[in-house]
Amino acid sequence: MTGEAQFDPDGPAITATDVTKKFTLKGSGDGVLALQELSLAVATGEFVALLGPSGCGKSTLLRLMASLDRPTTGNVTVCGEPPDAIAARHAFGVAFQDHALLPWLTVYENIALPFKLAGRTPDDVAIREMIVLVGLDEFVSARPRQLSGGMRQRVSIARALILDPEVLLLDEPFGALDAVTRRQMNIELQRIWLRDQITTVLVTHSVDEAIFLADRVLVLSGRPGRIILEAIVPFDRPRDRSVMRSEEFHSLADELSLALEPSED
Amino acid sequence: MRTGRRLIQDYWGILLILVAWQAWVIVNQFNPIVMPTPISVFDALITDPVLFLENTGITFAVALVGMTGGMIIGTSLAVATWLSPLLSGLVSPLAVLFSSVPVVALIPIIARLLGYNVSTEIAIVVIITFFPSFVFASSGLRALPPGSDDLFRVLGASRRATLFRLALPAAMPNLAIALRLAAAHAILAAMIAEFLMGTSGLGYLFAKTNDEFQTEQAFGTSIVATAISVAAFLLASFVERRVRSHFS
Repeated sequence: MTGEAQFDPDGPAITATDVTKKFTLKGSGDGVLALQELSLAVATGEFVALLGPSGCGKSTLLRLMASLDRPTTGNVTVCGEPPDAIAARHAFGVAFQDHALLPWLTVYENIALPFKLAGRTPDDVAIREMIVLVGLDEFVSARPRQLSGGMRQRVSIARALILDPEVLLLDEPFGALDAVTRRQMNIELQRIWLRDQITTVLVTHSVDEAIFLADRVLVLSGRPGRIILEAIVPFDRPRDRSVMRSEEFHSLADELSLALEPSED
Repeated sequence: MRTGRRLIQDYWGILLILVAWQAWVIVNQFNPIVMPTPISVFDALITDPVLFLENTGITFAVALVGMTGGMIIGTSLAVATWLSPLLSGLVSPLAVLFSSVPVVALIPIIARLLGYNVSTEIAIVVIITFFPSFVFASSGLRALPPGSDDLFRVLGASRRATLFRLALPAAMPNLAIALRLAAAHAILAAMIAEFLMGTSGLGYLFAKTNDEFQTEQAFGTSIVATAISVAAFLLASFVERRVRSHFS
């Protein structure tokens, strides 16, 4: 890539170009091909959902964007830079299925952690605002083990957003929650996301969640993962539960589910 | 009244042993040099409490200083192996080697190196206690909350921040276990060192009174030693519970 130096703010925030990722496993000579020549671009301020069957490499793709892994061949850029550079300047926000809250810190301290890791003084006003935004103002001094699963993920989302990241990466953040809590968290995440409209990539295996939250849904095939379907979500924001009951929502969900099916052999 | 009943209910076994012991010595009419009665042992303890208190204090101090040193060294070595896999290849086998040598065999060597004094006693306690803290700290530094190492990497945490904000706090419950194990061992190790080469402390007092056929005092020393070992263990268990509930 030659264009790394001059990042165009109106251009894509995240690009993947011909990305192939191969894992070598002990005992198997060939290794496992997780992603094959995958290309995508995420626009600045766009919310993209990656949908795919389990094991299709969607989490791998997110890990490449997050600087946690490197492609075997191909190239990934975030804001025109290699992902490592974004991590180094503390500009990622992340939330995983494992909420990864530190059990010895309170809700407040967990949300303040990114400041500390960035070598900055925690901004008390911003932290308290964020705690109110995620609806945990009564649990400021609670420890993670005193919280419900949904509350922990709210803390995790708050922590992801506290430094106003340039890019938000979410890997099944609500995967461990029950269906009712999950839907409620989707509505909350939308509300929180609307505040700053940060470029977001969400990995999920829930079709409803993908459509409800994203501007655009990319469906990955089974291993090796490639993009087999791209769907623009037509609904205006803020979306509410009635959107999920609409005819359009259902036909889009059917289309995506159908695309997901053949790979589940 | 109620506490008295509780005490009897919880510890009647010990009381039974004491009564049986007293009866056994009286019935057999043992010479006090061979086997004193518990009452005469108790008598010896309260006749010269300063002697026992002083030596208990010394043993306790040796054990505490040695254990603190051992835990600091063990934890530091674990941090060194955490920081550098290369260093791990050097430190880990050496630590295993050092810990598998019987301490009793080490005592004369260390005594010749450091002298027949309190520094050798402390060194023995250090050797006994560093290994559990090394082993437990090593695994504790790697027993991170799920996903937290990825989180720290994506958030651009420095190695130093990862150590102090993630790995060391995560290792605290394990270090608390190491503390509990070390506490009981430390007192025993201090007394063995005092017994073999010391000039003060409970181990020395036991050796001296035993040699001088002051069997009551020797027994008294053992009882005090047992009491402080149990006390140290209970204290360390308490600390462990507190630490574990805070860090996990």
